Amino acid sequence: MFYREAGQFSTTYSQDQGIWSIKQDKWATFAIIGFAFFIIPLFASPYLLTVLLQLLVGCMAALALNILTGYCGQISLGTAGFMGVGAFAGYKFATGMRVLGGDGGAVTAATELVPMIPAVENIFVAILLAGAVTAAFGILFGLPSLRIKGFYLAVATLAAQFFFQWSFIRFEWLYDYASSSTIQAPRLSLMDGWVLPFKVPWFTWDLQFFWGTVDFTMKVSGPGYADKLHQYLIGLIFVVLFGFIAKNLMRGRIGRSFMAIRDMDIAAELIGIRPLRTKLLAFGISSFMAGIAGAMTLFLYLEALEGAEAFFILDSFLFLFMVIIGGLGSIMGTYLGAAFITLLPIFMVNFLPWAGGLVGMSINTATVEHIQLMVFGGLIIFFLIVEPLGLARLWQISKEKLRQWPFPY
Amino acid sequence: MTMTQQDAAAEAVPASADGEGHLAEHDATVREAHRRAIGDVMLEVDNITLRFGGVKAITDVSFNIREHEIFAIIGPNGAGKTSMLNVINGFYHPQDGTITYKGNVRQRMRPYEVAMGGIARTFQNVALFRGMSTLDNMMAGRLTKMHGAAERAFDKSLADIPVVNFLTYPFFWTADFLMDAFYWGPYQKEEERHRRRVEEIIEFLEIVDIRRTPVGRLPYGLQKRVELGRALAMDPQLLLLDEPMAGMNVEEKEDMSRFIIDVNEEFGTTMALIEHDMGVVMDISDRVVVLNYGRKLGEGTPDVVQKNQDVIDAYLGVSHDRPG
Amino acid sequence: MTAEASTAGEAGARSPLSGLTGKWWFWAAVIVAVFAIVGLDVWGLDEDAENHKAILSFLGDGLVGFLKAVTEPVALFWLKLGFAIETSMTGLLVGVLYSLVALGFVLIYKASGMFNYSQGVMVLFAALTFVGLTEYGIPVILALVMAVGVMILFAIVVEFLILRHLVNQEQIILFMATIGLAFFLEGFGDTIWGSNVKKIPLDLPSGAMDWLTIGDWNVQVQWLDISAAATGAVMVVALAVFFNKTRIGRALRAVADDHQAALSVGINLRTIWIIVWSVAGIVALFAGIVWGAPSGVQFSLSLIALKALPVLLIGGFESIPGAIVAGLIVGFGEKIAEVSWGDSLGGGIENWFAFMLAMVFLVIRPQGLFGEKIIERV
Repeated sequence: MFYREAGQFSTTYSQDQGIWSIKQDKWATFAIIGFAFFIIPLFASPYLLTVLLQLLVGCMAALALNILTGYCGQISLGTAGFMGVGAFAGYKFATGMRVLGGDGGAVTAATELVPMIPAVENIFVAILLAGAVTAAFGILFGLPSLRIKGFYLAVATLAAQFFFQWSFIRFEWLYDYASSSTIQAPRLSLMDGWVLPFKVPWFTWDLQFFWGTVDFTMKVSGPGYADKLHQYLIGLIFVVLFGFIAKNLMRGRIGRSFMAIRDMDIAAELIGIRPLRTKLLAFGISSFMAGIAGAMTLFLYLEALEGAEAFFILDSFLFLFMVIIGGLGSIMGTYLGAAFITLLPIFMVNFLPWAGGLVGMSINTATVEHIQLMVFGGLIIFFLIVEPLGLARLWQISKEKLRQWPFPY
Repeated sequence: MTMTQQDAAAEAVPASADGEGHLAEHDATVREAHRRAIGDVMLEVDNITLRFGGVKAITDVSFNIREHEIFAIIGPNGAGKTSMLNVINGFYHPQDGTITYKGNVRQRMRPYEVAMGGIARTFQNVALFRGMSTLDNMMAGRLTKMHGAAERAFDKSLADIPVVNFLTYPFFWTADFLMDAFYWGPYQKEEERHRRRVEEIIEFLEIVDIRRTPVGRLPYGLQKRVELGRALAMDPQLLLLDEPMAGMNVEEKEDMSRFIIDVNEEFGTTMALIEHDMGVVMDISDRVVVLNYGRKLGEGTPDVVQKNQDVIDAYLGVSHDRPG
Repeated sequence: MTAEASTAGEAGARSPLSGLTGKWWFWAAVIVAVFAIVGLDVWGLDEDAENHKAILSFLGDGLVGFLKAVTEPVALFWLKLGFAIETSMTGLLVGVLYSLVALGFVLIYKASGMFNYSQGVMVLFAALTFVGLTEYGIPVILALVMAVGVMILFAIVVEFLILRHLVNQEQIILFMATIGLAFFLEGFGDTIWGSNVKKIPLDLPSGAMDWLTIGDWNVQVQWLDISAAATGAVMVVALAVFFNKTRIGRALRAVADDHQAALSVGINLRTIWIIVWSVAGIVALFAGIVWGAPSGVQFSLSLIALKALPVLLIGGFESIPGAIVAGLIVGFGEKIAEVSWGDSLGGGIENWFAFMLAMVFLVIRPQGLFGEKIIERV
């Protein structure tokens, strides 16, 4: 009844090519973003924020993969590997590329170079730089895509995954020669020392007014130091910003060239699209975002991680599942799929033991994990059979229904 | 109530020129004027030989296509017609022979370079981008023409300075990329400009109502038409049509012939087409070349070709000594 | 960037090398030549080293140093001939295992155009089923028969629940469906059989055989490896007979050549799928038993089974001889690489070497080892 476009007309081509096809969608989007920014912080517990951060990282990685696989048609099984590159690049930038010899930090010849590279202290810069480094690696591993197609390429991207997994242990410089090969996010803050002498609603993410001061310092990174709420806000900024960028790119000329390559690469080349350039651009954009997702994992979500473990091959598959279930070639679907795949295990971990208790079975964590695998596998097959276009398509169908409700004729 | 957003958009974006003009019945005098307008040789195919392993797909074929003419390539199945188009397109690289396009002998070129040079193409089996809407398919045809504002500035100022162009190009490219990413100002104008041109073609081809439909859902005849639209969106100088009327009924064939003639007359596009329907070929084409088993059997105006004994033999299957 | 046809068209006359630069064997020859020249020099095998050094100094120490680092270990490796032969044998026999897993992939790909990612998990599932059954006290032979039965049942279930619903879908969708299948099967197997290591209850010959003596090195070959190779050989022969001599085999080949045509002469595609998946399941069973014989089976092995993928890339998806030869190449290559360069790279390069090898190989020859040159059409 309220969801329809009667009376809304596009009077220019720009309006007609806008992001939202009808105004209600636009309002809904802004409402959701506003809710995430201004309402969730008011009540969120640290546990909820951790879950949300995991979700944000998932969104970012799935967005990266959807651009490459859903829009440009190049299947990648190496997303987690590229995220790892992002995490380590972010770490090295934020710690000033320091070179430590041995476990104790003995001086090596290269140490003399180090003071010349200042540590990046701004988290935005660190994360974006990490993305840039990852993009370079992504383009490098995208080079074979000119000659290798389809699942030949998919398997070739596994090479990247395994290679990166290996190098996160092998190249000790990456984790500063720590014996456990783990990295810890350095302490980072934003707006350090900015103080307002009175309180304003929301400035401290509560609704108080006037009493006390507002300390703007955002503790965004560092185990034991960071504030989950601040990390969540930073993550949210990245996800919203890159969602917007991805949407814009994909509805413009770049997106069209990607989709042309995806749908029929020979015809695309014959109408003047350069295949290698386009594919490399897809690899570049995608791994840029994957790198950001990885850096977010380090700075915002896990804070301390072991490269080969945190960016394991199974994670790559999970991101692929997000994209399939959400909908290949749909930004909206990416978010839906990421939410689904992130929240389902959390639901199952809580629900299955309880359900098992009802029927008198004790279900341990290992069993829950096994059941998770089965459920994921089953869901993927189910979606591919029933709705290969994923949740995004279901969403669209329900919108069509809603448009006609309550008078379907 | 059932009116969709697309329809609303269609109404709100009115036709810039009325479609009637394009629909004018084919007129003999116009046709005559057009014939006189045929200009110099645009594309010269010279002694082309194409082999796949040991199989010769094309042997020593030469012909030329003149500006503004409709040129037909005919022949039985397996005669090498599509291979010939693929050679012109740069999709196959012939072992021997040269192709001269607009006065320049062409070296081994990638298909996209050929496309940028102004040669567009439709395909025997519809090769649309099935996941995209009609509009997006045709906008994809504009991709060779769509340059970012920064890139245009680069082309004007720095592109010809040897080392500087190499060093500064990344910055211009990045500027364009950022404008794309935020769909901002100059880029939005660029989109609009090209959209306007595409809308003209959409109206010309009378496919206004399927603008937003994913092409995978369209019937075959319309898909062929959208494909023609995508090729036209490239504003080509030379348009290669590979069996534009295959699998169509009489009505659709008439429509398609009309579009081909109209395009030729209004846009002055040179056309080379492959077609099996002899009636259509003899009606609309200015000159015809006949291929059989990869060799040229004859060339000339439709009347001349029709009387050529070799051609008649090839089509009627009369036994004859086939060289090679 | 208006790369007009004309500007690109005028880009210079053809260089005399232009015909060669597109040929992979040209580059192979160049690489071999460089290796030979540099190698002879840096290993001190070149009697005229002084003169050649002068030439090489043009290349700069960086390149020479790099090439030396790359080639020297390989040369040193082959100088210890006895050790080299033994390592190569081990590598080749591991390769046989890869081939066995890859065979299942190829069978299914040929018959249904489906890239069956779950083959690696099938291998472990089959083996675990066999071992799990024997743990219930079922005699080995009976358990083997029952495991075969389970794999056939699995094939029927897969056809019934998945394949028939995905007819005419794009290959990429099928591929993703098999990833889902792999996840499901792994979870299913884990839930039923547990995720601990299980020993294969077969009395396969153990120990090593002294094979050759070269210098002071006794070349030894593991009996287990020999039995693995023998199993592989038997399977390949059996498959060849099955494909070439039986009626079902001929039908399978018909389907592999052309689905539509096969349908039109009355071959039931669904039956064919069930048969092919069953055969792939049986191949998986034997591969799993051989694979698990030395150190038991568990599901973490499914990641190692992924090594069959580069084998497929090199051998080509549709070629059984390709799968076998490529398996040997990969097994051999990664062993040599590990022994030669592993130390300087920090070990563990076996994890990715096969994939990199396959990637490089594909870039040079996209159609695989035995594939025909792909002629693209529009």
